[in-house]
Amino acid sequence: MQTVIHVGLSGHATAFLLDEDGYGSLRRYFERARAGLARDPDRDEILRDLEQSIGEKLAVLPHAGGQVLAGREVDSVLAQVGTVDPGNGNGQARHAPSMRPRRFCRIEQGQWISGVCAGLAMRSGLRVGWVRAIFVLAAIFTSGLMVLAYLALVLALPVLQTRDEYEDMCRLSP
Amino acid sequence: MDAGKSGALRKGLLEFVVLAVVSSGRAYAADILQRLGDTEFATREGTLYPLLSRMRRERLLDYEWQESDSGPPRKYYRLTPNGRRQLAAFRTYWKSLTRLIDELGTPPCKP
Repeated sequence: MQTVIHVGLSGHATAFLLDEDGYGSLRRYFERARAGLARDPDRDEILRDLEQSIGEKLAVLPHAGGQVLAGREVDSVLAQVGTVDPGNGNGQARHAPSMRPRRFCRIEQGQWISGVCAGLAMRSGLRVGWVRAIFVLAAIFTSGLMVLAYLALVLALPVLQTRDEYEDMCRLSP
Repeated sequence: MDAGKSGALRKGLLEFVVLAVVSSGRAYAADILQRLGDTEFATREGTLYPLLSRMRRERLLDYEWQESDSGPPRKYYRLTPNGRRQLAAFRTYWKSLTRLIDELGTPPCKP
């Protein structure tokens, strides 16, 4: 037995008859569109416009009048309408903050010696106390080799004044 | 030309192309899509509707509902005075850009 689903689309007085596949495709299309337009202030209006267009295209299919539309017919109409591209509609989406790669720096705010550990703590998300403890232990177990590594880091890493500066750099730098 | 680069350029220009299409008179979304259909700027509803809606928020376009013989009422878009100014400014800018690119391509005059 075939399942038939009656679907009402914005602006269209008569319901469309879809089989399960067709209904599934349509529902997934609108779920994706709704998610894509989540930041768009006119989301609901755009979704209604899309419903109306999809309805107009379904209505002119060869046997739309009263017959059940199959999944592939719905898919072909959805392909004509195209995936929703929120980037063009919503300026915010294009500038949405994204996770930037974090960098190694020395940070002078709260430094003990030169801020290497403070920088590594910011980079790794560990507490600065732990990072210092690891350095001290590593310096003991490597009989001073870690001290050389520390000095190399002092010379190699760029310096920032504050932790806020570090956060800004992560947010703004490409 | 590299498809990716020209694609990015077209995407940025689409807004102005839509302004130009709508400037010729009232246009329904399907008219705009059809007019652009066989050009470089062919696009689809999924892209056009979010764009039209942003342009309306920016008061470049406005629409009015009109009954249709074949189906539900349609939104007919037209330019606002602001949209007209934007289009005129864009045309001037575009001409100056093409002139600049032509000039940059030719060697400077020899003495």
